[in-house]
Amino acid sequence: MRAIRPGHGAAGAAGHGAQAPEVKPVAKGKGSSLFSTDTHGRDDMRYAGKKLTDPINTAEDKWRLLPAFLQTKGLVKQHLDSFNYFLETDIKMIVKANARIDSDIDPLFYLKFLDIRVRPPQAEDTQRGVAYELTPNECRLRDITYAGTITVDIEYVRGKQIITKKGIDIGRMPIMLKSSRCVLNNKSPDEVAKLGECPLDPGGYFIIRGVEKVILIQEQLSKNRIIVETDRMGCICANVTSSTHEKKSKTTIVYGKTGKVVLKHNSLTTDLPVTVIMKAMGIESDREIAELICGEDLEFLALFSPSLEEGAALKISTQRQALEYIGAKVKVTFKTNRVGVRRDWIEEARDLLATTVLAHVPVDADATGMLNFRPKAIYVALMVRRTLQAVKDGGVVDDRDFVGNKRLELAGQLLSLLFEDLFKSWQSAIKRAVDTQLKRNNRTSQYDAAAAVSQTSRFITDGLFRSISSGNWNVKRFKMERAGVTQVLSRLSYVSALGMLTRISSQFEKTRKVAGPRSLQTSQWGMICPSDTPEGEACGLVKNLALMTHITTDSDDTTLRRLAFVLGVEDVNLVSGSDLYATNDTYLVFLNGVILGVHRNAEQFVKDLRRLRRAGRVSAFVSVYRTILQRTINISSDGGRVCRPLIIVERGVPRVTEADVRDIIHGVIKFDDLVTRGKIEYLDTNEETDSDIAVYESEISWTPPAKLRADMADPTAPPPTPNTTHLEIAPFTLLGAVAGLIPYPHHNQSPRNTYQCAMGKQAIGTIAYNQLTRIDTLLYLMVYPHHPMVRTRTIEMIGFDKLPAGQNATVAVMSYSGYDIEDALVLNKASVDRGYGRCQVMRKSATMIKSYANGTYDRVIDPAVDPTTGMVQERHAILDQDGICGVGERVATNQILINKQSPVETTPRVPTAASRATGADGDDEAPTAPIRPTDPTAIPFKSTPMSYKYPGDAVIDQVLVTTNEEDQMLIKVLVRQTRRPELGDKFSSRHGQKGVCGIIVNQEDMPFAENGVVPDVIMNPHGFPSRMTVGKMIELLAGKAGLFAGQVQYGTAFGGSKVEDMSRILVENGYSYSGKDLLTSGITGEPLQAYIFFGPVYYQKLKHMVMDKMHARSRGPRATLTRQPTEGRSRDGGLRVGEMERDCLIGHGASSLLIERLLYSSDASDVEVCSSCGIVGAWHGYCAYCKSRSGVVTVKMPYACKLLFQELMSMNVVPRVEVEDLE
Amino acid sequence: MDGAPARQQRIDVTYTCGECGADNQIKPREPIRCKDCGYRIMYKKRTKRMVQFEAR
Repeated sequence: MRAIRPGHGAAGAAGHGAQAPEVKPVAKGKGSSLFSTDTHGRDDMRYAGKKLTDPINTAEDKWRLLPAFLQTKGLVKQHLDSFNYFLETDIKMIVKANARIDSDIDPLFYLKFLDIRVRPPQAEDTQRGVAYELTPNECRLRDITYAGTITVDIEYVRGKQIITKKGIDIGRMPIMLKSSRCVLNNKSPDEVAKLGECPLDPGGYFIIRGVEKVILIQEQLSKNRIIVETDRMGCICANVTSSTHEKKSKTTIVYGKTGKVVLKHNSLTTDLPVTVIMKAMGIESDREIAELICGEDLEFLALFSPSLEEGAALKISTQRQALEYIGAKVKVTFKTNRVGVRRDWIEEARDLLATTVLAHVPVDADATGMLNFRPKAIYVALMVRRTLQAVKDGGVVDDRDFVGNKRLELAGQLLSLLFEDLFKSWQSAIKRAVDTQLKRNNRTSQYDAAAAVSQTSRFITDGLFRSISSGNWNVKRFKMERAGVTQVLSRLSYVSALGMLTRISSQFEKTRKVAGPRSLQTSQWGMICPSDTPEGEACGLVKNLALMTHITTDSDDTTLRRLAFVLGVEDVNLVSGSDLYATNDTYLVFLNGVILGVHRNAEQFVKDLRRLRRAGRVSAFVSVYRTILQRTINISSDGGRVCRPLIIVERGVPRVTEADVRDIIHGVIKFDDLVTRGKIEYLDTNEETDSDIAVYESEISWTPPAKLRADMADPTAPPPTPNTTHLEIAPFTLLGAVAGLIPYPHHNQSPRNTYQCAMGKQAIGTIAYNQLTRIDTLLYLMVYPHHPMVRTRTIEMIGFDKLPAGQNATVAVMSYSGYDIEDALVLNKASVDRGYGRCQVMRKSATMIKSYANGTYDRVIDPAVDPTTGMVQERHAILDQDGICGVGERVATNQILINKQSPVETTPRVPTAASRATGADGDDEAPTAPIRPTDPTAIPFKSTPMSYKYPGDAVIDQVLVTTNEEDQMLIKVLVRQTRRPELGDKFSSRHGQKGVCGIIVNQEDMPFAENGVVPDVIMNPHGFPSRMTVGKMIELLAGKAGLFAGQVQYGTAFGGSKVEDMSRILVENGYSYSGKDLLTSGITGEPLQAYIFFGPVYYQKLKHMVMDKMHARSRGPRATLTRQPTEGRSRDGGLRVGEMERDCLIGHGASSLLIERLLYSSDASDVEVCSSCGIVGAWHGYCAYCKSRSGVVTVKMPYACKLLFQELMSMNVVPRVEVEDLE
Repeated sequence: MDGAPARQQRIDVTYTCGECGADNQIKPREPIRCKDCGYRIMYKKRTKRMVQFEAR
């Protein structure tokens, strides 16, 4: 049944009766999905009831491209793309780069890795010895890891033969859910459901030992790009962080205080004058140096001349002299020094310049073996020029916070770093093993190196598992030590899980008091959500992706390089200094931060390259842009750039037409087809700055180029508007998935949207379609969730309408009873009885029934019987005969769920090193206990039960018994509580308007409308003026109109149902246009004096509930060390009189109260003090120091004080207490 | 705690297979496995004792 399925087609199709297609794309069409409302599965539902025959207005309907985008790309496509790229390309490249292991002993021996693959997750059935397909759900339930096997093909020397072996396991790789290796890949929603998985689950996370782990997106400054900034000394400098597979280093060119330009690098003991570096790179003449840096510009020359003079003063004029000079300044590391022989300084310096300084600029050897330093020299010159330019412009430096200067590191990149490190150290382990084997001269058989490969498979597996489960990313080679890279996927609600997968964490220090990295950047538009960021410490440092953001993966640049030359780039090697900055039309061309050469017609070049990209000849994610200021063309194909799709506009006409939108709706074409047809393209942040993007179609402007040129030539004419190059697909995509839940967010004050983004993640609702089969540590579920009356397009696209978290409450905005001040809400008791705000809390308790190394094992024992009454003990009341609680039983606090007993002794008794030593010496030490194999049955058991520790009764929901990977038995008990709203439970609308329940009022006392409608919730109107959440008012209005129109309304950002239309619907149905109704008081029966704003608002119940927080104690447990009351509700702790409360009491002069709180009610203790010597610690009236009983008195002091005295005494400090009689 | 001998009275407790729904017995220190389909996850059946809920 659960053996490997022969291809995934057959098994999946059997269930739903349809004929099995050969290759199965995501199932579509009516009826093929079990979930008739599932827009992911049904094309016809995806466009919100729009019929195929309906007219299509491109200006209005182009947002319909978005569902198509999400269908092909998915919500967490960045993670999946990155991981897939790692599995399919990067991992093979890593192995190719480190393919060969040679032996130091036998020169003939080699071991070569030919290929590497990662297989889909499988588990070995230990009893049958067959592998079967693992499903993510089984991994979660059994606390095992969702990982595939890494297999390699190797070729090696055995004796005198070359042996090839295929498919050797070298470890296990955790597999990202929904990635190309995942069992869920390419499955239709019902097939996914059959595997116990939720079809709406976005994937993109890992399961390590049953725990869902997300590798957060890491934000970094881009590598291999020049960034000009001001350093700590206030000097302007140009930085480059070079990063290649081999090396990472940072090179800085500083324009010093004295006006001299120097190069800084970690591997140099001092800063070196740039002229020396240039000379060492073979640019020997000062004139050429000046030419390369300054061109013909005299201003630059004036700024650079002090550096030239410095170079001349050093009397270094040849390359040899320069290299010698540098060689003396190279830092001696352990590695270089270890050999003992001091290398030639010149060689040392040359090596450093070639490989370490600016490591990303390649220095190739030509046919004669000479190193060609010219590209690097020009690169250094350019860095100097950039620095000088910033100096010239009066300190205009690059913006580090510009999104184009950032790269986002995803799971794939992070894993590849980790894997490369593990693979390399594993290889050296193999090499060591091989060498020791080959060293042995008298081998009985030929040594087979394959054994060394297959025997050490834990090495890579453990490293990967450990890093992902702990979040500590340590790569020694790059000195990378990062903590908190992974987090446990929050399953509080569907939105919180989704929000976590789009989260970006920044590498900046949280303590630094710089506003720059935290503030909203204009270049974040469309890439990073402006609303979704936490408040407080991490504000602005933790960000979220916008809805359409895509993150690039690395792509090969060799073809691009060739293409650039074909398109007219002149090679740097053939260019002299004067050519670099010859005319204003000469642009430097960069490819991924490395200089290719110059081009004399930048506009044409950029146009050509873009045309090729639109034609699909170049990867869609290659970006090319000009910077006019620096006169550069940058081509980027590196990974981690943020980009997003935009509609191409040509000659003032958007390329996406009505017909295209119709084809998309009909499902004739996919989103990617529009990309390959050159109608939509991806722009990264840098290319966006070189484009003119219209938000709405009406904003497109276009003047023919001829006229544009004429306008520009005419100085009297107003500056021409630039031609529009692109059009936004939908403006609301600038918000993220979480902010997309807010209706009418463009009418709210912006911090309110940010608050809602934080609260939306705490809302109780539905987690997933498989929520009832999941056994999570803590799960909150809403009993009767609604989808919101006022939706947004985002809500439909992320599937929040299918997994909602909240209810449409009928709200009356009015003052009632005074129990609603300070944002408190009044709830209708009848609504609560009907199930409003009712939620379930599921808690997991798990225990292992282990077998131990000494032959003992845990056991589960049937319930104990009270010896006197013969009845089952109270604590064991819910246990069945198997010692595990019965399903459906009601459990009270402290009752036992699993009656486990563990052996007292679990480690096998082995002779310790000490006992062995004494035994061997035949010493006269006390004879150690005779070491004998203990009888496992003789070891007594101690009770180690698992009890229900939380306050409040609950019901056993599920009991799961299984075995984990190590064949230990695992018992999970799921306990359920159903809670109705009570006083103090927290609720919130979708506009950052949170409040607690202040009172629950009987329905008869609530006000009612003319048609008899009684509100579920009464909200105080004082919540509105200062918060300015107009969106909430419009939501109410639109929701109310929707009630009468019998449809949901839309509150999509920058669009949505119009207030005027809503008012019209209300008026047509006999209600006031304003949404206000005449209400009658339920208490007096009189009509209320004012009309009340009355209608449905979507309210979320937040996870903060009084039941989990309520706490009181009189006497209770105390901490052992200090004897003070314990801290915290979970330990039944005391309520602290803190320092501020203490200050109040001091201010009042309430000394007796102070003494009572701080001493008698805390840790008062009687201490005997000797009044003659003042030493504490007399015992039973006898002072051991004075050797007398005369002056010993008993004094009350805090136990903490007594502890302090004793600690001081232990450090040879004598605290003496002076005692006086009380007056 | 005392080392009272384990009483083997758990014969009557059966478990349901998470995959095929077959009834299974679980013996101590034996890997949990459905006798029909080989699935490793078992669920306990609902208690036979009467349970009264307070519907509020």
